[in-house]
Amino acid sequence: MSGASPRVGIVAVSHSRPLAEAAVALALEMVAGDPPPIAIAAGTPDGGTGTDAVRVSEAILEVGAGGAGVVVLMDLGSAVMSAEMALEFVADPELRVRLISAPFVEGLLAAIVRAAGGADLDAVATEALAALRPKSEQLGDAAADDDQRAVDDPGDRADAPPAAAGDLASAAPPPAIAEAVVRNVAGLHARPAAVIAGLVAERGVALTLATDAKGPVDATSPIGIAVLGAGPGTRVRIAATGAGAAAAVEEVRALIESGFGEELAELAELDVAPAEVQPAAHPSHETPSHPLGVSSGRVVGPVAVMVHAADEPDPAVRIPADARYGAATRLREAMLAVAGEMHATAQMLSGQRRDVLVATAAIAADPALHRAAEALVRDEGATPERAVWVELGRTAAQYRELGGRMAERVTDLVDVRDRIIARLTGVERPGVPERDHPFILVADDLAPVDTVGLDPECCLAIVTEQGGPTSHTAILARELGLPAIVGAAGATALADGTVVLVDGDTGELIVQPDEGARATATGVITLPPFEGPGQTADGHRIVLGANVGAPRDIRRAVERGAEGVGLFRTEFCFLDRTREPSVDDQVAAYREVFAAFVGSRVVVRTLDAGSDKPLPFLTSDDEPNPALGVRGYRTSRRDPEVLDAQLRAIARAADAEQADAWVMAPMIATVAEATEFVARARAAGNRTVGVMIETPAAAFVADELCAVVDFVSIGTNDLSQYTMAADRMSGELAHLADPWQPAVLRAIRLIGEAGTRSGTPVGVCGEAAADPALAPVLVGLGVTSLSMAARAITAVGAIVSSATLAQCRTAAEAACAATDPAAARAAAREALAT
Amino acid sequence: MSTTDTITIEGFTAWLAAFRDRVTEHRSYLTELDSAIGDADHGANMARGMAAVMEKVGASPATTADELFKTVGMTLVTSVGGASGPLYGTLFLRLGMTAGAVAECDAAALSSALRAGLDGVVARGKAEAGDKTMFDAMAPALDAMDAAIASGASLAEATAAARDAAAAGRDATEPLVARKGRASYLGERSAGHLDPGATSTALLFDALAEVTAS
Repeated sequence: MSGASPRVGIVAVSHSRPLAEAAVALALEMVAGDPPPIAIAAGTPDGGTGTDAVRVSEAILEVGAGGAGVVVLMDLGSAVMSAEMALEFVADPELRVRLISAPFVEGLLAAIVRAAGGADLDAVATEALAALRPKSEQLGDAAADDDQRAVDDPGDRADAPPAAAGDLASAAPPPAIAEAVVRNVAGLHARPAAVIAGLVAERGVALTLATDAKGPVDATSPIGIAVLGAGPGTRVRIAATGAGAAAAVEEVRALIESGFGEELAELAELDVAPAEVQPAAHPSHETPSHPLGVSSGRVVGPVAVMVHAADEPDPAVRIPADARYGAATRLREAMLAVAGEMHATAQMLSGQRRDVLVATAAIAADPALHRAAEALVRDEGATPERAVWVELGRTAAQYRELGGRMAERVTDLVDVRDRIIARLTGVERPGVPERDHPFILVADDLAPVDTVGLDPECCLAIVTEQGGPTSHTAILARELGLPAIVGAAGATALADGTVVLVDGDTGELIVQPDEGARATATGVITLPPFEGPGQTADGHRIVLGANVGAPRDIRRAVERGAEGVGLFRTEFCFLDRTREPSVDDQVAAYREVFAAFVGSRVVVRTLDAGSDKPLPFLTSDDEPNPALGVRGYRTSRRDPEVLDAQLRAIARAADAEQADAWVMAPMIATVAEATEFVARARAAGNRTVGVMIETPAAAFVADELCAVVDFVSIGTNDLSQYTMAADRMSGELAHLADPWQPAVLRAIRLIGEAGTRSGTPVGVCGEAAADPALAPVLVGLGVTSLSMAARAITAVGAIVSSATLAQCRTAAEAACAATDPAAARAAAREALAT
Repeated sequence: MSTTDTITIEGFTAWLAAFRDRVTEHRSYLTELDSAIGDADHGANMARGMAAVMEKVGASPATTADELFKTVGMTLVTSVGGASGPLYGTLFLRLGMTAGAVAECDAAALSSALRAGLDGVVARGKAEAGDKTMFDAMAPALDAMDAAIASGASLAEATAAARDAAAAGRDATEPLVARKGRASYLGERSAGHLDPGATSTALLFDALAEVTAS
């Protein structure tokens, strides 16, 4: 343990000498070998209570003699002031001293243990700063937990991060070296960078990555990794020192070679080029030079312009020497707090939005960024906000230079920058505008966090100046089903309230459209509410319900004339919780929905956890392939009580209200599962029980399923994904995961036929139900109810009522017989026109 | 400028002695104030600190203001123990640095040196107006002093104005809720008591007014 290199010194500042001595003794019980240099500056010389700045400065000089830096822990009040004052007395500019705001005992213990192990100043300081975390977690202290969560971020729990990339480059040859070739199409962009940084931080080794063109960079820094700009085919050199270096190098090598579970590039061995920056490798990700429609729909509405970007902090302001350490600490705390905040928000999301936000939080927690920004404050007296501005500006310039997907992430950097500055200056950063009427959101670009505050019931469409087809705006818009255009230069110059027409298919943006143009909008809010009952032209009944995912959806569903709820997602009761909600809480939440639909059908789907909707108390996060893992009904094998409690809550809520409550389980693959679920649901007091059909397995045994359930409901999103073996979240595979694929339509036909034969109601509650062109086809395939986003009901209802059942069947047969989605659409359209 | 309009090293030393006498005399009162909202050591700490200061100053008399006040500041830092150590220590260190290597100060020089001391206190304690701290006595005192100087008052008149403003500032801390120091942990319960730090600061200006009056 006592290596030749000097170790970080620790100073304990307290009002009370016995307190400090006891705390140090407690920490030393944890140290097996030689303790690091420790000095106590506590109490008055006569044994009284008090602190003495001069004594603190002497203690700092004493333990800092080795040159590895000093970490100071203090209790409260004058101890803090004395420690700050002591820095003024320490004349040595070479001596790096960190005052740590952690609680005295916890911080001291963490710092001493870490310093004893030979960690560097940054690592000791970081560890000490996060020392409250185990206690907050134990006590479930939410607020403290948020503050500390930043340490979960890749890179920040750096046990022994290298001081700087430059130092490493000139260090002695590292004992472990390997090479990997980047395999995934997107290269080492933000998400893979965060994954690598997280792994390296956990392993606690000093590890660097380099390409032939750039580096080496500290691999605990996601930003550093990202700016390598390593595209597919790039050879990356991995080098590490420290205990476990060889194993860590191998892990990182395997991770890079695995392609991070993303789409892989087709690389012939000969293609593996000497590494160089290849921004042109992904031209499809470039910000388009003209407006580009990225999410379908054509709507008219007034714009609400969102402006952010903080003002540039004054470069001339200098902090006096004695306040610099305090300012640097404030900066670090602000960065960690922002990282923690973003991380916490990410936990409330799912799918790509979550991944994207986790990667963005990693930027705010990047240890290399911290070091660089803090150095600006400490060494040059820059204000903390100026330091953030400069350092993230530098990174943004590097991202821009790399182009492609990296350039699209510049908005994330700007967002992180503005959040940290807002936190430092107390000036609130403007978010998504709030309006009491529906609006079309116009922004320079949307940051991941903005998407959280966006109410899809109030936002009609999104228009941004920046961003490409893979930007957050595009991802978000598609997830929310909102029309969207990116790359609309000059859009933010529009005056608030200007009426525009937005077409997310063609990229058309018409300012102040005339009556004729307005009439071409298909998704406008001026459509009247749906007036039921839903039926075909010849009176064949089709129930048109709304999907409800949260209480806020209820009002909208009622307003739009929904005939009940065809899919009530119950996850909102469970998300963002670490423990299962009580039955009483659940009953209250379900009753709220039932109460709004007296006499109407409300189909409740039991908890669909797993895959893109992980729940901490139910799902494990280490599945190699969560979409094919323990999700939906499958979680109840592990935790049957969660499902049984929910089934009881649904039955109780149904008894207390007058809705026609149906209940169904997601992710069923076998008849045995369906039989078991029906028995459990009935035992809990539920009358009408069904299952979802999302797997090809369930579609194949639809006849047998219909024999044991009261109804089935087709989840077309998952059925498409599993039938086509194409991740529904992947933009690259969107052409495969398309319900218009003849294979998917034929799977639906199997189910529709089984339902017709047995007289079992067959619902569709995926996105497909909201596609007006597809609705008659679904009806023709035997579907008896459609459930969709509330705003689509009027349009779907109008289409359904314009065709006879016979026409629908003809259209369905034609679509099923087609060879691809485009041909299926054309065939259905033609059949309906005759 | 008449000699009565400057304060000399002897005057500064007399000021410090008068301050020592006041904190010693009011030692119990200051401690009593502190026991209501703090840790009941302000009187004892200040009396001990100023006694140490006068001992040091007596043992090695200074010839310039910066020298004198450096000794004062460092002695307070090492002998007071509580928050008043770094706070009063910073006040006197900055005061001395700003006054410089001089043997006497006129009213304007004294005021700007005191102002630098106040800035140091603010930087050290991060206190703002209304936080129920020594700032609440010192800031109005210096404002009053500057206003008096600007209207042509003598040193004696200026320090008298500062004394009165400091006393008023001290009294105004009574209804405030403490936001700094250990008193802040008491929250609303800290209201209804004078702030001990503001009270000792008022004594400092009372002492200054006395030694410059003659």
